[in-house]
Amino acid sequence: MKSKLPHLGLLFFSAVIMLVMPVSSGQERTAIWEGVYTSEQAARGEDVYTGACIACHGQDLGGNSNSPGLIGMGFMFLWEGRTLGEFFEKIRSEMPTDRPGQLPVQDYLDVVAYILQKNAFPEGREAMSSNVAVLNSIEIVSE
Amino acid sequence: MMIKTAKPLCYPKLRPHSILLPLVLLLSASFSTAQIEHFTSVTDEMLISPPTGEWLSWRGTPAAWGYSLLDQINTNNVDQLQLKWSFALDDTGAIQAAPLIHEGIMFIPSARGVIQALDAVNGDLLWEYRPAPPTEEFINSGAGTRAAVLPANAFAGVGRGVQKNIAIFGDMIYAATETASIRAIDARSGLLVWETQVADPTLGYFYTAGPIVANGTLITGITGCDRYKEDVCFITGHDPLSGEEKWRTSTVARPEDPGGDTWGDLPLRFRAGSDAWVAGSYDPEANLIYWGTAQAKPWARVVRGTDGDALYTNSTLALNPDNGQMSWYFQHIPGETQDMDEVFENILIDVDGRKSLFKMGKLGILWQLDRETGEFIKATDIGYQNIVNLDPITGKITYRDGMIPRIGEELDMCPSTSGLKSWRAMAYSPDTSAMYIPITLNCELARFGPTERQLGGGGTGPVRRINYHHPDSDGNLGELLALNIPSGEVKWRYRTRAPFNTAALTTAGGLVFIGDWNRTMSALDAQTGDVLWQVRLATSNQGFPISYSVDGTQYIAMPVGTGGASWSGSLPNELAPELHRPRNGSSINVFALPK
Repeated sequence: MKSKLPHLGLLFFSAVIMLVMPVSSGQERTAIWEGVYTSEQAARGEDVYTGACIACHGQDLGGNSNSPGLIGMGFMFLWEGRTLGEFFEKIRSEMPTDRPGQLPVQDYLDVVAYILQKNAFPEGREAMSSNVAVLNSIEIVSE
Repeated sequence: MMIKTAKPLCYPKLRPHSILLPLVLLLSASFSTAQIEHFTSVTDEMLISPPTGEWLSWRGTPAAWGYSLLDQINTNNVDQLQLKWSFALDDTGAIQAAPLIHEGIMFIPSARGVIQALDAVNGDLLWEYRPAPPTEEFINSGAGTRAAVLPANAFAGVGRGVQKNIAIFGDMIYAATETASIRAIDARSGLLVWETQVADPTLGYFYTAGPIVANGTLITGITGCDRYKEDVCFITGHDPLSGEEKWRTSTVARPEDPGGDTWGDLPLRFRAGSDAWVAGSYDPEANLIYWGTAQAKPWARVVRGTDGDALYTNSTLALNPDNGQMSWYFQHIPGETQDMDEVFENILIDVDGRKSLFKMGKLGILWQLDRETGEFIKATDIGYQNIVNLDPITGKITYRDGMIPRIGEELDMCPSTSGLKSWRAMAYSPDTSAMYIPITLNCELARFGPTERQLGGGGTGPVRRINYHHPDSDGNLGELLALNIPSGEVKWRYRTRAPFNTAALTTAGGLVFIGDWNRTMSALDAQTGDVLWQVRLATSNQGFPISYSVDGTQYIAMPVGTGGASWSGSLPNELAPELHRPRNGSSINVFALPK
């Protein structure tokens, strides 16, 4: 009996993977278009953006000579195919450049929500959380 | 110097030259803490030949050598230098200060339009000009965008808010602002005398470089020209007494102008870039100012929609300061396509009787031009770039195979878009006949991307960027490179892990001073490159060190601070992650020998 346990375990693990993978794969492609933040979160994010980001990235998120644009073709060129987890971590660890990582985590999440909103990614019913696994599962893709 | 303590809050007399007068009225207020009673007006002659010990232009003189004739501090005693005083500057934005010295008073530009007058001997504050933040009423009035009238704490990071240099002339201090205006401030009291709105900040226009005064005309170069708009970048000349605009010269060839076809068939609105974001130099004998222009925007040819030369981007312009008329231009990199800016300082040196102009851009090519005619004389590639080939006879640039970006395709390029050389000005010493050049060693894997071709769009275009160490750097980011002039031969190199983050300063004491990102300020033997003295300061050295004397004592002043271009922090953060700097600590630090 003992010798069969690994096999059973493996079978169970494989089954879980088989069950999860297609769903997970589907989520990766579509989740960002099903709403991964709330309008309230994006509104808070606008305040964060105005206080901490606008001086470099501009009111319209278009950036300037020293700071990349965060909207439109430029944003999608930089971030398409990468995950929200990467985007969040980039901002959280490097921004604002004069005090990187010094904002509350919630502020970073909110400003990501605001940037998604400005890029016409739809709002959802649940706020974005800092769960890294979840963020890493959400791919930034065109509709 | 006599100081009268004084005036509480005062509001200035404003003259109505503004195109956006409400903006001026609401953004301009100042106060004075003291009154300088005896102040000698600064003349054209004084600017050209400053009194011994004074520092009246951002790089010392209109020739921009960054060289001091003072030699009390020299190679024999520099190791005894002591801090005499320090004065904290605002941490509300970027500091890249170029202080001025007149009659024992230091005038220093700080972040967000603040200017302070300090006793240059002990650092006492004499007066302070501090623009008032806009009122909520004005912010909500629609008279300007939020980006133009944000409250003071909104600019607490990098980007806008920097003012590199100011000018002194007559009884005034002149500054150019982050909201595209220029200001005249009474040098005695710190009170605003006039403010002229030069361009509409809601279109993206702003200043980071301050003015110069040449032959009695106040001259400034605008920046923020990367977005598509129904206008282009320019340099303006003003009456220093009134602020009235005397002339305006576009730095972009308009479709109907000579050279207009160098942008292909792009209409005016899609001719972006050519920002004039570094202050120029002046030759009084030729009566010409020399001003650099930045690269075309968007950066990549394929993105901006033309492979033409795009005049007058990435050029040196020689203009008559009286009327703005262009005497000549020299385009260093026609049709530039990778953000290799050539906008930087112009150093005027006579070499073997030839009136020359030296400059270096991001590619690390030292150019020598005839400053009377614009004729190419010589160019020296310092050997770190892999993007272009340089014909040493003609000075013509051609791109190496595969080095013109295509959308989405990876380029392995040295330098990165940060450049080998940037605003950190090089200095010349006539004693060694050498140029001392702050270099940042770096490379990048780059993918250039598209941008929207519509009004308000454009910009630089996105770049997916992976920075890496230059293969010849041994892991160092900083190099102070001494080149013999005019041969271009390497005299010596001094490398550091951290990038250098200030201009160089040379002195008749046989010294070159410089500061790095990792807080170390150094004095080196200009002849040998030996490090003779070092000190650690509060945060990154950043700005333009100067030397001056008061009552027989020579001083060295070094500004430190943070902010500025995002890559000034990102390169060391990524490539020298063991280095850390405080995010505050902006200050001016003044050193002298013990009594």
